[in-house]
Amino acid sequence: MSEPRIEVADLIVRYGDVIAVDGIGFDIAPGELVTLLGPSGCGKTTTLRAVAGLETPSGGSIRLNGDTVYSAGQRRNVPAEKRGVSMVFQSYAIWPHMTVFDNVAYGLRVRRLPPGEVRENVRRVLGLVQMLEYADRPASKLSGGQQQRVAVARAIAFSPNVVLFDEPLSNLDAKLRAEMRVELRELQRRLDITSLYVTHDQEEALAISDRVIVMSGGRIEQIGTPEDIYNRPRSRFVADFVGSANLIEGKVRGPSGTDGTLIFDAQGGVELEVVGSGGSSDRATVALRSSYIHLGQAPGSHNAVAGRIHRRMFHGDFIQYVVDWPAGQLIVRRPPTELFEEGSDVTVSFAPVHCVLL
Amino acid sequence: MRLPAIAPRNIVMPLVVLLCGGLVLYPIGFLINESLNVGDPSAFPPEEYGFDNFINLTDDYRALANTLLVSCIATVLAVIFGFLQAWILTRTNIPGRRRLERLMELPYYMTPLIGALAWGVLLGPKTGLVNQLWRSAGAPGDLFNIYSAYGIAWVMALFEGTVAFVMISAAMKSMDPSLEESSRVLGAGKLRTALRITLPLVAPGVLSATIFVFAEMLGSFAAAFVLGIPGRFYVVTTVIWQATLSFPPDYGRAAAMGLSLFAVMLVTLTLARLVLRHGTYTTITGKAFRPRAMDVGVMRWPLLGIAWGYIIVAVILPLGALMLTSFERFATVILSQMQFTFANYQTALQMGSVGPAFVNSLILGISVATIGVVVIGVLAWIIYRSRMPGSGVAEYVIMFPQAVPRLVFGLGLLWAWINLPIPIYGTLWLLALAYFTVFLPLGLRTIASVVLQVDPSLEECARVCGAGWGYQMRTVIMPLLRPGLVAAWLLIFIASVRELGVSIFLMGPNSKVIAPAIVNSWLSSSSELSAAMALIQTATVFIAVAILFGLARRVTGVTQ
Repeated sequence: MSEPRIEVADLIVRYGDVIAVDGIGFDIAPGELVTLLGPSGCGKTTTLRAVAGLETPSGGSIRLNGDTVYSAGQRRNVPAEKRGVSMVFQSYAIWPHMTVFDNVAYGLRVRRLPPGEVRENVRRVLGLVQMLEYADRPASKLSGGQQQRVAVARAIAFSPNVVLFDEPLSNLDAKLRAEMRVELRELQRRLDITSLYVTHDQEEALAISDRVIVMSGGRIEQIGTPEDIYNRPRSRFVADFVGSANLIEGKVRGPSGTDGTLIFDAQGGVELEVVGSGGSSDRATVALRSSYIHLGQAPGSHNAVAGRIHRRMFHGDFIQYVVDWPAGQLIVRRPPTELFEEGSDVTVSFAPVHCVLL
Repeated sequence: MRLPAIAPRNIVMPLVVLLCGGLVLYPIGFLINESLNVGDPSAFPPEEYGFDNFINLTDDYRALANTLLVSCIATVLAVIFGFLQAWILTRTNIPGRRRLERLMELPYYMTPLIGALAWGVLLGPKTGLVNQLWRSAGAPGDLFNIYSAYGIAWVMALFEGTVAFVMISAAMKSMDPSLEESSRVLGAGKLRTALRITLPLVAPGVLSATIFVFAEMLGSFAAAFVLGIPGRFYVVTTVIWQATLSFPPDYGRAAAMGLSLFAVMLVTLTLARLVLRHGTYTTITGKAFRPRAMDVGVMRWPLLGIAWGYIIVAVILPLGALMLTSFERFATVILSQMQFTFANYQTALQMGSVGPAFVNSLILGISVATIGVVVIGVLAWIIYRSRMPGSGVAEYVIMFPQAVPRLVFGLGLLWAWINLPIPIYGTLWLLALAYFTVFLPLGLRTIASVVLQVDPSLEECARVCGAGWGYQMRTVIMPLLRPGLVAAWLLIFIASVRELGVSIFLMGPNSKVIAPAIVNSWLSSSSELSAAMALIQTATVFIAVAILFGLARRVTGVTQ
């Protein structure tokens, strides 16, 4: 594996007495898209801005393409304009007093490219984002989606090694956001752009990333592929924040004897087979994704308990049930073909591999 | 690159802040120093210090009482005018509301000085146009005497009415209409809604406008000067002026009085701000609402009459009187006695010192506005964007002259610069420096409103794209600030051309400016000449506004 493009180590950012980023570290390989995911105030945007050079950290180090751009130990801080990274801002930051062309050409002109090359490059990237016919429009006359495309074009125009995305899709409506997500991923893959991407939308993070970094309270909760994060959350926070999960409280009795699973005692005398490490404990939590629960006895689901449909909510793409079971209530998501009436008795079943001991 | 890098901006920024801060604090320091001087009033530094000047303030109790009387009457009237206009123009469906709302700016452009001159022409004893009519109808004596507390209060109320209007209508506009609508939906009638919902929500705005107008009144000078001096009616500001320019000058007394006035004003203004901050509920969301207009039925014709009435009385009538007078040999409304002439205008533009005063004012206006906009532009950016340590303090210091009555600040400037070994006293340089200092808050406020609207990411994006500080300034920041810079230029220019309180102390025989020249001509009792001068000054301002608005439309028209 080649040398990482972005290396962040022990990064600390303080605002007065508040610690926004509390000693985090990660590496990003060339061509990789890594997402910083977390609720507002978790330090994800601050981390991104520190990488860009727009925030001055208080500790740690940042390396870009092998060069140290910030190091508290060496008292080194390269200003944003000298770091050679590029960024797409949440507000798009399209300069309203310029045309689309001038916006996109800005980074090229700063680098004193000859006018011919500037024009060529601008046309190329505007073509990539399908905005070529808008080149001469005043930038203030664009719709939100169009501004978004121009912002992306401007960020990639000078062929930067690294592009930072600060919640680039959060100001678009839901439908456009879903479309742009696909386009962004396409573009990033095609041009092989190393990207650090900030979002608070877990769906977006899972869909777009090679790896996801879940952050909370200025610290990293978990780093992993989207499948990892979804299927094997390592903490209560990750299980709760990413996707829809049921958190079941109980005790770990010990190994079950089969497949290295454990026996877990939930409330109401419910006994479950779960996956996880460690021995018995008195207080434990198991995370169970609502999509992995069957209503009815499914083959291979060792865990099966009787329950009753309490509430049904039809969402279109899925149906969400609230099911009463001896250990309390379960959220269950089933495809819209599996229709049960409220009040009817069902068996809830799920595989031990989906019961993740936190 | 090392962390404590010495970039050009790291030198420029503190330098600008220190320079401007110094310009503001230096005269204030002198004022305090002088107010404690109990020895020889013209000795510097003072030979003896003490609080006698403050203790002796009570000797001037008549002036204090006069000031309170005038301020109270004017405040009550102004708030009534402002509230009525605000309610009519924002909450009723009278025809032509939008146009009327724009016309409401006009009284503010009239200034108290022009207003006082015009009302002097209209209601002066014996010679006043209205009193002439009254007498020609056979009635004895004068109908009105403008040279009185009521006269000064009347002129100031017409002017401050616009200020109250702006503040109160802002409170009325920023109210979410759904607050009233939910009251109606819950079954409350129109009256109940007005009393229980609308009034409490608007009350803090009205109260803070009242306090603000009162504070401004305490420090107002021009009307009290023009209308008070002829009748020997003194308020605090005119006493300060008299104490300074009488012989021998009593600087200590003037300084002590000025500082006390300033202290009272500062307390009142702080109170107004507190009322506005703590008294307003969450109705002010920053969203611009257009509250639903109430259908007032046939009442809309009398209300329309009131709305227009204010503009006629505050602008059209006084301007008309000035205009008539300026073209006459002797001010009169009796048809048979009218003799029309252009002589007043000729005199105004030629006369030994008056013509140059116009030229000086124009030179000052243009240069102070131009240099001011550049320096204040950098200052605004430093204070609101750079996150430089201490920028909060810098803002406070720069905004300071706003709270000091102009005349009092002029006194401080006089003392500060007369005692400096730099020989600029009596020159236009000193006036320019003084104007720049007193207009710092005006410029900063205007430019800041634009700076704060510019999303920081617009600038950060330029940085990330690789642009250095200078390149960002040139390509992104300055173009985005352009509307604010144009507005600030215009406002500083207008304020400079009309400046009275500072100029009256600082102009020398070879550096006369227009506003004090008009006042002097008025006091040497040529109302016809003064009218012509005042109109030329007003016309200059309007022409400048027209040119700049044309320019501004071109500039901003491209970008929006």
